[in-house]
Amino acid sequence: MKNKLHRLTTAITIALTAVLSLSGCSRLAQSDPLPSSFENLEDGKLKVAVSFYPMYDFASKIGADQIDLINLVPSGTEPHDWEPSASDLTNLEKADVFVYSGAGMEHWVDRVLNSLTNENLMVVEASNGIALRTNSSDEDEEHDNHDNHDEHDEHIESEEHEFSDHEDHDHSEGEDHADHDHDHDSESTGLFHFHASDSGHSHSHDGGLDPHVWLNPEYAKKEMENIKNAFVSADPKNKDFYEANYEKYAVEFDKLDEDFHNTIAALPNREIVVAHEAYGYLCDAYGLTQVGIEGLTPDSEPTPRRMARIIDFVREHHVKVIFFEALTSSKSADTVAAETGIITSVLNPLEGLSAEEIVAGNDYLSVMRDNLNALSEALSE
Amino acid sequence: MEIFEYAFMQRAFIVGILLAIVIPCIGIVVVLKRLSMIGDALSHASLAGVAGGLLIGMNPVAGAAIACILASLGIEAIRRKIPRYSELSISIMMSTGVGLAGVLSGFVGNAANFNSFLFGSIVAISDLELYLVTGVSLAVLLTFLLLYKELFYIALDERSARLAGIPVSAVNFIFTILTAITVAVAARTVGALIVSSMMVIPTACAMQLGKNYWQTLLYAIGFDVLFMIIGLFCAYYLGLKPGGTIVLVGVILLILILTAKKIMKVE
Repeated sequence: MKNKLHRLTTAITIALTAVLSLSGCSRLAQSDPLPSSFENLEDGKLKVAVSFYPMYDFASKIGADQIDLINLVPSGTEPHDWEPSASDLTNLEKADVFVYSGAGMEHWVDRVLNSLTNENLMVVEASNGIALRTNSSDEDEEHDNHDNHDEHDEHIESEEHEFSDHEDHDHSEGEDHADHDHDHDSESTGLFHFHASDSGHSHSHDGGLDPHVWLNPEYAKKEMENIKNAFVSADPKNKDFYEANYEKYAVEFDKLDEDFHNTIAALPNREIVVAHEAYGYLCDAYGLTQVGIEGLTPDSEPTPRRMARIIDFVREHHVKVIFFEALTSSKSADTVAAETGIITSVLNPLEGLSAEEIVAGNDYLSVMRDNLNALSEALSE
Repeated sequence: MEIFEYAFMQRAFIVGILLAIVIPCIGIVVVLKRLSMIGDALSHASLAGVAGGLLIGMNPVAGAAIACILASLGIEAIRRKIPRYSELSISIMMSTGVGLAGVLSGFVGNAANFNSFLFGSIVAISDLELYLVTGVSLAVLLTFLLLYKELFYIALDERSARLAGIPVSAVNFIFTILTAITVAVAARTVGALIVSSMMVIPTACAMQLGKNYWQTLLYAIGFDVLFMIIGLFCAYYLGLKPGGTIVLVGVILLILILTAKKIMKVE
């Protein structure tokens, strides 16, 4: 019902935004520090459109000043709820490359891509090649993490294996696959997925898969690599530039990963309580366990039984902090915190940064470092 | 009992029962005036108030209350212009509210803030909301009792109320504002779904049993409190979403009452 109401409101918003943007009024809406439409179509640079913030950050790290980059989901907007407007579609018609994270994060992608007539658009699903985790939290109310802790650790290892396999695999295959796609593009019509043809997961939009892959720095690096490969094949003359930028930031992502490993390994506690379960990849990578008040999508009403279990969990495990995220409401987190007398704090799932954060010069790396600090405060003795 | 060990459940019961006592008082008049959908219309209109409030830096709940008052005055005005189709006025204000909310929300930069005021949940009630609901409930209850006779006349037949010397427009005005404030505060606190259904379902049940206005009112309050308690228990022990559960308990009871009545008539 709520959802319906929400959809109704969103639908009307879209209709009205479309009308308003046609008349040029939407310019007044907000001063978004990230560009949302291509300014100069004649400068010969690669035109790249990305779905939301982490993709923007990774793409701008690779492309820097050699590309024209626009961001579709505006700063401060929760990407789960966003729908494209008419002007966004116009921009996609002009773009050369479209990058989205995938795995169900951007539920609108298939619909939008089908409605485009841009035959030369290269579509990149950045999460391609990452072993996706499925989300089980929806069915199970009880989080008996003690019983299956060992199992859990094994699970993590096996998943890492899978990932590194994938990586090697993709390395060798990625390049020629890209070439192949390129040829394919020049002689045939229509949109194509950048080596995403075999990925069944791009179709499962509702539930099942956890889309928040970028919260594991190594997976974020992988997404950045996919973006780099796409740029290289779309704009071969700048190949060296893109490769150099990738190498430069890959080192920083590795360093971030290492810092996460070292810092968290030294902490005595392993359980975090979060408003919505966005941190599965992060937790898997560093041996943490997340307990979410709400499931994978934010803004759904929690059931009272779930709230009670979480309150019990907080008391039992002496959890000190409840994390909520900057972009969603913290009502249920506040309620649990008030009941158990602990504090709430922000853990940023990087689904978007607010205008202020961007103006202040934050990026993926700095926000992840803030997250690491927040975690180490919450999990220390 | 386990369910009462948690402060958030205690709060849910306090706020729930308070609202279950107050909302039928408004609900019975609303139903008799053929304005059953007003709860829905106002909670939609209040979305526009939330967005507007955030935009101009006013407290969004205050914004919601103002929007509700304006919308319900709008409903009254249209209703007076087209008296034979009073439900028309409701759909008009509802569309206006949703439309306005849609446009205004495009200008609100921080979606988080907006969302947190859009949907209330009966299991996540803050201190401030608890006081707000208590205050509003007491105010509504007092006014309702003071204007009991006037409202009764108006609810049954506005024209004869006017002939009997009741200041119809003044009473209507006060009632309109009471309705607006109740919906604005309750929808933000416990959710629009609970508010709009609590106005009409208990009244519908009560009308099957009550023999007169006073009796019907008492039945409606009784039913509403019952739905609330059963609903919260079910939601807690069966792991269901509370808002929907409370509403469905009411609907199931209404069906049972209607069936029982039919069987008794046949016999």
